[in-house]
Amino acid sequence: MKLWLRCFLAFFAGLTPLMGQHRPLLYDFTEIPQSLLLNPGAAHESQWYAGVPLLSGVSLRAGSSGITVQDLFADDGLDINDKIRERAINGLQPGDEVSATLQMELLSGGFRGKRRPDDFYSFGVYTEVDAINYWPRDLAILAWEGNADQLGRRFNLGHLKTRGEMLNVFHFGINRKVSERLILGVRAKIFSGIFQFQSTRNRGYFVTTQGENNLLANTLSSQMGLQSSGLEGLRRELSADGADQGAVLQDFLVRRGFFGGDLGFGADLGFTYTLKPRLVLTGSLLDLGFMVHASDVRNFTLEGTATSEGVEIILPDSLADPDADFWQDLVDEIEALVPFEEDAKTYVALRPTKLYASLRYNLGGTPPPKGPCDCDYRTSRPLKEQPYSSAFGAQLFMVNRPRGPQAALTAFYQKRFGNALAIKASYTADKFSLTNIGLGFNLQAGPLELYVLADNLLAYRNLANAHTASLQFGLNILSWGRN
Amino acid sequence: MKKLGLLTGVFLLCCLSSCVEQQNFEQYDEVAVTPLLEAALLYLETPESEINRQTSPSFVSTTFDFEAFSEQFVAEGILEGSLIYQLENTTSKPLQITLEFLDASGQVLDTETFLMDPAPTAILNREVVYGPAGKPLEILTNTTALRVSGTNLGDQTSVSGEPEPRFVLRSTAKFRISLT
Repeated sequence: MKLWLRCFLAFFAGLTPLMGQHRPLLYDFTEIPQSLLLNPGAAHESQWYAGVPLLSGVSLRAGSSGITVQDLFADDGLDINDKIRERAINGLQPGDEVSATLQMELLSGGFRGKRRPDDFYSFGVYTEVDAINYWPRDLAILAWEGNADQLGRRFNLGHLKTRGEMLNVFHFGINRKVSERLILGVRAKIFSGIFQFQSTRNRGYFVTTQGENNLLANTLSSQMGLQSSGLEGLRRELSADGADQGAVLQDFLVRRGFFGGDLGFGADLGFTYTLKPRLVLTGSLLDLGFMVHASDVRNFTLEGTATSEGVEIILPDSLADPDADFWQDLVDEIEALVPFEEDAKTYVALRPTKLYASLRYNLGGTPPPKGPCDCDYRTSRPLKEQPYSSAFGAQLFMVNRPRGPQAALTAFYQKRFGNALAIKASYTADKFSLTNIGLGFNLQAGPLELYVLADNLLAYRNLANAHTASLQFGLNILSWGRN
Repeated sequence: MKKLGLLTGVFLLCCLSSCVEQQNFEQYDEVAVTPLLEAALLYLETPESEINRQTSPSFVSTTFDFEAFSEQFVAEGILEGSLIYQLENTTSKPLQITLEFLDASGQVLDTETFLMDPAPTAILNREVVYGPAGKPLEILTNTTALRVSGTNLGDQTSVSGEPEPRFVLRSTAKFRISLT
């Protein structure tokens, strides 16, 4: 089987490490310092923390909204071509997607200001891989069935929408307790782009109609483009004679991941506001920023409109030139009308902005005072007391995607068991699943903290049949000032 | 603590009991992407006045490159196909049209001949199949040029009573290609 088809099917079937953006369990799980990455204004209260390098925050998530690996590759005796036709070609819609996000912290830490103990500073570096591919329905039908006997059917080229990137993010955040009721946070980010590609603004169609002269006319009207950065350099280096592919890849990731590639800037904003003594509202806006892709850029466009009725010989004019090359003239004419062009122009890509919000009701513990308090965080709440013993609430998540915003709603329940353990259970409804039940643990043994969060637990019965699954874990050393 | 134990048990049970039903990825090799494609091929039009203007019976004879079938992606993947012709003669004379398929050395690989009665004639439709149920596919995959010849089998003075008398050849190609 040809390589491109293997790659396509692998990507489509979810065999590559596919992940997504939403992390409902980690959001507002304030015992975990990494929750500050989802809300720089989270009510995190440790004195300091240091993430174990490479292990402090690993997040993997896979999502396929319309089809699962099991749908195609189950050992059920059915012809795979029938399964592809019924479940993919005729079953998937242009809004169905396969999306992926991997996030891995390389370095992470945070500390509370000595002079301003209401401020908590956090910083770090993490690698992020994010990709999304919408099902290109009409193009898939065209490739699978062809255009024969489809007179008048317009195959929509706009169904092709894909985007992916890999980058390192260097960040520094400030979390400030402005009052007993309000915590604000902001995080500045510098993006070091490793590679990026996007083809998201495609329009046009391919149609076969009855010809004016000939039996048929084939028309292509295209406004398509693909932008990429980083990949061309990698391809060039990998294909060099005698290249050690492992070393080349390692050098590529390190060089471009540490400011040898593209550069971008962004910010996260967030807050926690205590509406009533036990009722807490939170919100955050992440990755408000952009990347300037200026290195190893390779862009392609296919723009124009052409109609062909084949080689046309209309006497006597067509034979006036004895050297006429009808075939080449036809090819040249089409290429002139719909030129396939390539350039290396710098382009700017916006980061996929995310929004989180939650409303939480705390039970048990000692609620914060109703009025203003002129004491700092160390005296506003006795150290042995907990802000809550359990809590429940709802969260909203939205992310900006090539086909518009995607949303997810989560209901959650949190419980603390002393200082050693906190758990969070969640139910999430989104386009991938309506039966997504997640569970997370945060365990603390002395200064060592371990957290494990897993979504869509029901899918663990058979991961091949899951539309989405995720796992996050991390290891930190931290001080709450009481251990 | 009982609740904690229960919850821990549920979590661990879910994680540890996670499994993947047996999948058969060997099915990859059975995937057959074989679209049926259709495209216009050749259009030839000759008004009767042009046929009458010629001093010899041959009113057209031209050879031109035609590499649609020998393009790598077609030549390597074509499984079967057919060429569909539609001829219409509204002139006052019988005509013979010959379409020859030539390879790179100019050798004739195949010839398709059409005889058309003078007007009023019905439209002539012909489908020529290539592949397992028809002529060898190599005719198409080795074709790099076409030679079109038209011969007037009648006189060179009469004029048809039909409006805009002319001879027209229309054609399309329909072929199945393997993309895997």
